[in-house]
Amino acid sequence: MATYGLLIDYEYCTNCGSCQVSCKEEHNYPVGKTGIHVFSDGPWYMDDDNINYNHWPLVTDLCDLCAERTGRGKEPICVHHCLANIISYGTVEELAPKLAAKPKQFLVVPEYLPREAKGEFVSKGTRDHKAAHIEVQGTGSSTFGAHRADAKVGEYTEDAV
Amino acid sequence: MELSDYKPAPVVKLDTLSDVNDIGKPWRYDDGDMIVTRTCPWSPPGCHPVGCGLKLYVKDGRLEYVEGDENHPVTQGRLCPRCIALKDYVYNPARIIKPMKRDRADRGKEDAWVECSWEEAFDIVKENYERICEQYGPESIIGMSGTGREGGTMSLYPTMVFGTPNYCYMQSGYACYTPRLAAAAYITGTTYSEWDYAGALPGRWDDERYDLTEVLVMWGKAPLESNPDGFFGHAVVDAMRRGTRVIQIDPRVNWLSARADIFIQLRAGTDTALAMAMLDVIIKEELYDKDFVEYWCYGFEQLAERVATMPAEKAAEICEVPVEKIYAAARMYAQGNPSAIMWGLAVDQKTDGMQNSQCIIALQAITGNLDRPGGQLMPGADSGHNELGFGYKECIPDEVFQKMIGLAEYPAYCNMILNSQVDMMLQTLETDEPYPIRMGFYMGDNALSNCAMEPKRWHDALVDKLEFCIGIDTFMNASIQATCDLFLPIATVAEREGTVFTHYAPCTVTAGFMHKAIDCGDLPSDMALAYRLGKHLHPERFAKWANEHELVEAFRLGVEDHGKTFDRVSECVVAQVPIEYYKYEKGMFRQDGQPGFATPTGRIELWSTAYNQFGDDPLPYYIEPEFSPTDEHPEIKEKYPFILTTGARVTPFFHSEGRQIPYLRELNPDPLLEINPKTAQEKHIADGQWVRVWNMFGEALMKAKVTDAVDEKTIHGQHGWWFPEETGDEPNLYGTFRSQINNLCPNGHMGKLGFGAPNKCMCCDVEPVAESYDTDMNLIWEKFGKLV
Repeated sequence: MATYGLLIDYEYCTNCGSCQVSCKEEHNYPVGKTGIHVFSDGPWYMDDDNINYNHWPLVTDLCDLCAERTGRGKEPICVHHCLANIISYGTVEELAPKLAAKPKQFLVVPEYLPREAKGEFVSKGTRDHKAAHIEVQGTGSSTFGAHRADAKVGEYTEDAV
Repeated sequence: MELSDYKPAPVVKLDTLSDVNDIGKPWRYDDGDMIVTRTCPWSPPGCHPVGCGLKLYVKDGRLEYVEGDENHPVTQGRLCPRCIALKDYVYNPARIIKPMKRDRADRGKEDAWVECSWEEAFDIVKENYERICEQYGPESIIGMSGTGREGGTMSLYPTMVFGTPNYCYMQSGYACYTPRLAAAAYITGTTYSEWDYAGALPGRWDDERYDLTEVLVMWGKAPLESNPDGFFGHAVVDAMRRGTRVIQIDPRVNWLSARADIFIQLRAGTDTALAMAMLDVIIKEELYDKDFVEYWCYGFEQLAERVATMPAEKAAEICEVPVEKIYAAARMYAQGNPSAIMWGLAVDQKTDGMQNSQCIIALQAITGNLDRPGGQLMPGADSGHNELGFGYKECIPDEVFQKMIGLAEYPAYCNMILNSQVDMMLQTLETDEPYPIRMGFYMGDNALSNCAMEPKRWHDALVDKLEFCIGIDTFMNASIQATCDLFLPIATVAEREGTVFTHYAPCTVTAGFMHKAIDCGDLPSDMALAYRLGKHLHPERFAKWANEHELVEAFRLGVEDHGKTFDRVSECVVAQVPIEYYKYEKGMFRQDGQPGFATPTGRIELWSTAYNQFGDDPLPYYIEPEFSPTDEHPEIKEKYPFILTTGARVTPFFHSEGRQIPYLRELNPDPLLEINPKTAQEKHIADGQWVRVWNMFGEALMKAKVTDAVDEKTIHGQHGWWFPEETGDEPNLYGTFRSQINNLCPNGHMGKLGFGAPNKCMCCDVEPVAESYDTDMNLIWEKFGKLV
């Protein structure tokens, strides 16, 4: 099965908020939860004249790439509404050449609810070491020491129990 | 470890490393106009001894940059920010490279320090040392240690140099690692079983002897940030990427919590109840390893009976977690083949920490995960050497040793770690009972900013009672500024030779060597300073070694070969330690070579003969945290309604270290107090606002970080804060008492054996303040950014 993702041209992300709001409308996510979230860095001066200021729409673990919409053949809702039109949906194979064609982009493949995607833990370990049946003897005393032999760590015998 | 085992560890190349690389390079080589020295650092800067691989690039005698060494079998070229910024530490304008003296009357005055020669400095030490010994005896000297420095870990200063029995790690209840070591030593006969992350195996994760850990329990531990006790934290990520699943037990959400199959966000300080319940589930549902229990454990029935008093339902109420999570965690841990538990600092930082350790060891034992591949790796009979205890027998006469503060009251503590009991030491300092303490020295320890609880109390006692005090460090700090009369500077890792054994020697997986790459004025390492100063004070004790190089060889390798063996084997830079599994079946745990464990019964003592001998309950029990704001303590609940937990580590700093390194400080400029959004709302606190947090012991001003990392009942405060950019004059002392979360943590609330402190389960209230104390990063850059 093909792997789908989003190609994001962050050179032109304006932090308009349409991706986040449309995602939440689409999924009915409450305040505080979203499938996509814009992070910002800047503005700060790289030198006297050049300013660094970028926004990145980043998918969260609640992004299902709009499974219901894309199941109907439509694009994810953030792709549809992005004001700057900088989000593309497609297979990684389709998107990768576009990524190579221009800087200031990134390609992302989200995973929806990754813990559930991983499934319940089932042991696959194969080692079957049966602890040896040996009647061990006590040491008769114990030093309980952790350190050098020349350390005076209290020596106690079992009589002291 | 035999000398023949010191050979270069096989390299396991990371896929991301280019084919143009330095794999197979010798310990020193040329790279263009640079001389590259490969080294495995350990202190200073402080760190727990992981001994990550470093390549130090030197041009014309100056360290130009640092790169991770891809030849290291565990770190494989990766490095954390602290060593990446090593150059900024070495050449920091605030670093001190000449001895300095000051009159006792001028303590707390920054400008009163005067540079002096090493000869004069040593003479000052000698004069004061002899006078004080004459007047009060060597027991009147306190050797103060923190963590992660060679000086405080190797006991050469207190033993061979000054001959005092009062070596003192400054944290209440020695609540860091040693309680876990002690519990392991008492119950299993060998110290601390670390998660087996294949660190000692030549093929690492793919080694045929190794089984990938299926279930890894992270218990009160944040290894990614802290590299705890010498464990390379990101090995957890390596394992997760291979399929290891995580159970996390922590009152605070961290990055691992989001990736854990089960996250148990328990009420801080209730871990022992949870651990007893997990044991009960595993025993009742017969999920344990019956062969191991029958032949290799002692006291199983008694343990079963005891933990039956803490069914999951009861623990769920105490811990305030859903009961089904307790069942699920117990079953998943028991089901893993293999499973392992990483038990962290939080285990020590409560009054019943020794009981929590006891339960965790029992979990590891009854599930058959002890000493098996991918389970818990245990140190054999031949390990645990070369760290503590140097010179106790030779340099401290028995009558002096017997004067160790706390030895009679807390034999388990004092004999275990050869330390005076710290909480009693504070009382001794304050009262002169049973005898006065009049001289001190810091072995790489900024106690007042980091390690000491109620630091103002310690400050007042030290300033008042010590007639003479020495600071041994790389930078000035608040503790030295307040209490010392002499500063002895030491070398950084780039300027010294030495060794680093992971995990402080117990459960070592790699043995690394430090190689000197640069010189900043013939500064000594801690080992070398002990030699130089010790020779000045007690030449006879050091006469058998012609130089410090020979001393390092003798103490760290256990051979005396005029340094030649050290020179030869150190060229390997990093070696893996040969390990064996199932050592209990092979007679490798005991001096007598018989199968079994080195305990009085020869078995894992689930009913502990040692705890019993030392006067504690031989079986685990839970104690409600003394300061918990619950219905059990209505007065506390009324006045201090929130649980205060402290001390979670962050990557940029090693405890109080690193505040002067601009690139590190930039990652965490201000002391943060984590508050849940609902609590913040209720208290009218905005994210990023400064707040006052307080309880019956004291208060601190911190910057609010409003976050779901803590729940509504819990507040977490960062530790170790001081502000080297501010004035060091009294009473400011670099602002060390202003944002000091330890102001809220007490001394004297340890467990029955003297171990444990409630630093992670205190109480507090919080309110916003109008002022801002935001760090000006431009000032930090101006003050510390211009390297010298």
